[in-house]
Amino acid sequence: MDHHAVRLEGVSKRFGRLPAVDGLDLEIPRGATVALLGPNGAGKTTTVKLLLGLLEPDAGRVRVLGGGPHEAVAGGRIAAMLQDGGFMPGVKVIELLRFAAGLYPDPLPLDRVLAVAGLGELAGRRVDRLSGGQAQRVRFALALAGNPEVLVLDEPTAAMDVSSRRDFWAAMRQEAAAGRTVLFATHYLEEAEEGSDRVVVLARGRVVADGSPARIKAAVGGRTVRFTFRGPLPGGLDRLPGVTAVEVHGDRVLLRSADAEATVWALYDRRDWLSELEVAGADLEDAFLALTAAAA
Amino acid sequence: MTAYLRLELVRTLRDRRYLIMTIAMPVALYLLFSSVFGSQPPSDGLTVDVAIMVSMATFGAMGAVLAASGPRIAQERGNGWLRQLATMPLAARDLLAAKVLAAMTLGLPAVLLVSLTGVAVHGVRLAGWRWLAMAGLLWVGTAPFAALGALIGRLTDGDSAYGLTSGIWFALAAPSGMWMPVRILPRTLQTVAQALPSNRFAELGWRVAAGHGPALSDGLVLLAWTAGLGLLAMAGYRRAAA
Repeated sequence: MDHHAVRLEGVSKRFGRLPAVDGLDLEIPRGATVALLGPNGAGKTTTVKLLLGLLEPDAGRVRVLGGGPHEAVAGGRIAAMLQDGGFMPGVKVIELLRFAAGLYPDPLPLDRVLAVAGLGELAGRRVDRLSGGQAQRVRFALALAGNPEVLVLDEPTAAMDVSSRRDFWAAMRQEAAAGRTVLFATHYLEEAEEGSDRVVVLARGRVVADGSPARIKAAVGGRTVRFTFRGPLPGGLDRLPGVTAVEVHGDRVLLRSADAEATVWALYDRRDWLSELEVAGADLEDAFLALTAAAA
Repeated sequence: MTAYLRLELVRTLRDRRYLIMTIAMPVALYLLFSSVFGSQPPSDGLTVDVAIMVSMATFGAMGAVLAASGPRIAQERGNGWLRQLATMPLAARDLLAAKVLAAMTLGLPAVLLVSLTGVAVHGVRLAGWRWLAMAGLLWVGTAPFAALGALIGRLTDGDSAYGLTSGIWFALAAPSGMWMPVRILPRTLQTVAQALPSNRFAELGWRVAAGHGPALSDGLVLLAWTAGLGLLAMAGYRRAAA
């Protein structure tokens, strides 16, 4: 018996000439909650589709619960929330969920699915009359209804408002705690950090980092501090607390910092020379590219 | 599969476009044509009332089956429902079978309502077995149209599917004898008509209404269309699993 819920061995998939996934190796033990983090175009969605057998790899091997993806899908052992998954038009939420649950050998009770996905009041609503966030909750319910061993979620909180997001992650943690293997793709570092116990960072179709959320956050997290400097540029900016990198473009200075508060506090001494100070979350895309460069 | 079939039927009852186009229209056309031409003398063993009743029943059924397959499949391909289904434990061939069966079944209301109108308004009387045989044959006989719809759904997107489906519906109906007797058409068109599934489908209805059994050649032509279109559609679905 394979103890891995998911095992990818040297998997590649290209679209035309463009490699979407490029020699990907990934093992996820049963019961784990793993975030697949990366910018758009990193290969997250392709990876999800390979796991579900919606795409066939050009090279390498995809295993789900010890068998092929099609076997896992046909056995109702894996279920997914797709970014571009739709519903049969004209039916009600409850009708759709009842139908979905009926396809699986051991479904969850419908009232529990409705409660977990926060759909109690929407059960009688027609699926083509839902807002984006509501539709996203129905997709979640659809994936959950069959009580699958492995749950795959592609950008699950897209189009959800803040409170729906919070409820969603609470529900997710509950599902993960119940022993389900959960793999979700996201491009938000915060989500990866809060929702998982392991983060795999993808960039350009490869794994560029793999570790605990705290480790990944330290590697790609950070923030940027920007300002305009009047007068001659002082030396020693790279020795300010928290600073990991310094970039100067004319009189604009950009500092990357692991501790933005400490950095700004240190800059306070030179406030007379500074203007247009901005503190921003790190551009993840930049951080990923830095990681990719480091990995190469 | 039966669960999917049920879901398809439930959904249709809420679909106003289907109800108007494919049920109300054939009934209205029947009332119109039968009041205009109803006084003509009978031919081929059928009174004109009954012949027009069968024509409009088959015309409606053909349209309903096409509308319940092509545009819907195209729409569900476009909105991602078929992709979602591909991640669920429902085999592709079961899904296609359910879709085809649902589409065929959705041709029946047109047959039933046009027939009821014939009975109620024009006092059409047929033996019970003829009604039953007609309903059964006009259910089975829609198979080539369901296969055609599956193919249209595979080849078009949601926007063009409705227009294309209506165009094909009318193009198949015009020379089929549903709108006017085949014998008044030009000779070449008569030959074409006999090769069309629409003519053979209507023929099933006319023959039963006149008290004959279905002709072997009608069955063979319908079967050939079903097999040919069905194979093309299945090839398309296999290629586009993602």
